[in-house]
Amino acid sequence: MAEEFLVVKDLHKSFNEHKAVNGVSFAIEKGEIFGLLGPNGAGKTTTIRMLSTVLEPDSGEVVIGGHSIRQEPEAVRSIIGVCPQELALYEDLSALDNMVFFGRMAGLNGQEARAQAMQHLELMGLVERARGRVSRFSGGMKRRINLAIALMGTPRLLFLDEPTVGIDPQSRNNIYETIRGLRDRGMTILYTTHYMEEADRLCRRVAIMDAGQIITLDTPRQLKSQIGSPDQVTLEDVFLKLTGRSLRD
Amino acid sequence: MLQLTHIWLIAVKDLKIFVRDRAAVFFFIVFPFIFIIMFNFLLSGIGGEDERLELHLVTREPAGGLSHQIIGAMTKAEESQLAPGQPKMVRDKDYAEARRAVEAEEMPGFIAFPADFTEKLSTGSGTRLEVVANAGNTNYRAALSGVAGAIAAEVGADRVIVEASIALMVRGGVIPPDEASINQAVRSIMDRLMAGGAGGEESAFIDFATQKVGEVEAENPANFVIPGYLVMFVFFAAAVAAEAIVRERQNRTLERLLATSVRRESILGGVFTGTVIRGLVQIVIFWTLGILAFRVDLGLAPAAVFILSFLMVIMSAAFSVMLATLARTQRSAGSLAVITALVLAPLGGCWWPSFLYPQWLQDIAKITPHAWANDGFNKVMVFGADFSAAVPDMLALAVFAAIFGFIAVWRFRTSAV
Repeated sequence: MAEEFLVVKDLHKSFNEHKAVNGVSFAIEKGEIFGLLGPNGAGKTTTIRMLSTVLEPDSGEVVIGGHSIRQEPEAVRSIIGVCPQELALYEDLSALDNMVFFGRMAGLNGQEARAQAMQHLELMGLVERARGRVSRFSGGMKRRINLAIALMGTPRLLFLDEPTVGIDPQSRNNIYETIRGLRDRGMTILYTTHYMEEADRLCRRVAIMDAGQIITLDTPRQLKSQIGSPDQVTLEDVFLKLTGRSLRD
Repeated sequence: MLQLTHIWLIAVKDLKIFVRDRAAVFFFIVFPFIFIIMFNFLLSGIGGEDERLELHLVTREPAGGLSHQIIGAMTKAEESQLAPGQPKMVRDKDYAEARRAVEAEEMPGFIAFPADFTEKLSTGSGTRLEVVANAGNTNYRAALSGVAGAIAAEVGADRVIVEASIALMVRGGVIPPDEASINQAVRSIMDRLMAGGAGGEESAFIDFATQKVGEVEAENPANFVIPGYLVMFVFFAAAVAAEAIVRERQNRTLERLLATSVRRESILGGVFTGTVIRGLVQIVIFWTLGILAFRVDLGLAPAAVFILSFLMVIMSAAFSVMLATLARTQRSAGSLAVITALVLAPLGGCWWPSFLYPQWLQDIAKITPHAWANDGFNKVMVFGADFSAAVPDMLALAVFAAIFGFIAVWRFRTSAV
């Protein structure tokens, strides 16, 4: 049996009366790309915020790389990288400045941060634009920088929260290739999206979330086989069958 | 140590962003000097000269009358002989012409001696000086009334002297008790009382004593314009920085930092330090240009000026972070920043000196940190006070900074939800 790198048990979070995450449990194996699917408002982002230690859960337990997020948040932070859904970067700075800054924040010294920044910019196909101001980049380029920043410090677990929202096919394919490359190098990835075909292409296993709960969890093929031939149905069909409404409501 | 490094890196990052924003650099560094040059010019008249008051005197008596002697004693040939602040007495020859000049508002007013002035005084029946002044010029009218009152009092006192002297002379047999002899003795005594006055020398009859408190020097308007605009723009820049903090919160940049090894306190410290450094850069530029280009005088206590500036920067940075914690959206932070900066600046005496305000407005202005800062600067740089005079203003700024800082630390959020 493969080693479980992230274990989530009965996670709960409410905002006032609204239960954003309601008893979520799952585990991710080391080196796995795990998809968390669901429509907007399903609770995916709230789950990632709790797993990345920036939002305290109401209850439940999370262990990442053997460290509890409650007891050892510092240790957890040292092994994770987060790519938020928003473009969480400084548009008035250059791509290189952004990456060096976040690298320093992740504990790298100046030289290391610079070296890693150039390495990741090359990975993203943005070396020529390293010194360009981010505000002048296209949406796709900003998304790639957003992802590259998450790689600073060489995390062992990467949280990617809808990293391909609103970008061109070229940038999307670049991101897919990057993610597969990271997996091949042994990185564990939690990937949230509401694009079903994306999850189908990238993830070994997916959990479908709705209204703060995981309603099913399995490999894409197994999920599709629950309602028909895996070659003829899509994950969206699975979701519609399970929830009775469209993913893009 | 790591947390200090994080604070420093966040501060440096904020400075880089500020420097690369040319509009912000122009608005908070260059733009204030356009205001300073303009207001320096507009306010250059304040305290800049000794505007000597001219008081006009005219008599309707024929030549030889006592009023001619009084006017002669009061007027001086050379203005240069007058002490600072001493009014200049001007003799006007024609009553009708003087009256016409007042009605035409060519002259603010005058004091007129009646045609029977000497006769009435001699007979003891009393006389009346006439004060003719423009109705709208209350200050000038008050000055003329004061001088007229002084003349009346002095002449009254002299009359007592003359009467007592005549009585003694008659009783002692010095002069015979007939009218002609008494009148001649009266004239003789009056002449002696008035002696020396008509010659342009200091009169023994009416004397003005002016207490000289320092030299009358032209006040450099930069001494209150530059501190005023420094206070305004340091606060304004800091307040507007709150918008950037809210933007970082909304696009989850601050949260992203938390997901690394950065602590909430380091983010708060970094944001605060960045705002403080930017403010320090502003005050260094303000004072350097102020001293070199505008020749501002830091008074007897330059240290007080620098401490006040530093406290102003600290207070403004604390206000910035507080504003960012209270505002929910970027737009509300920006609006609150502009409103607070533009309301507090004139109220606190940044646009024009608050010591020109009525007392009640000065009292209200004390609710603003701007007023305390400007008050401290004015004390030291305009009124020549020493360090200790500015200490209450420093303490007030420190209290404002502590209050804003406490709210900022208590309420600081790194995420929008």
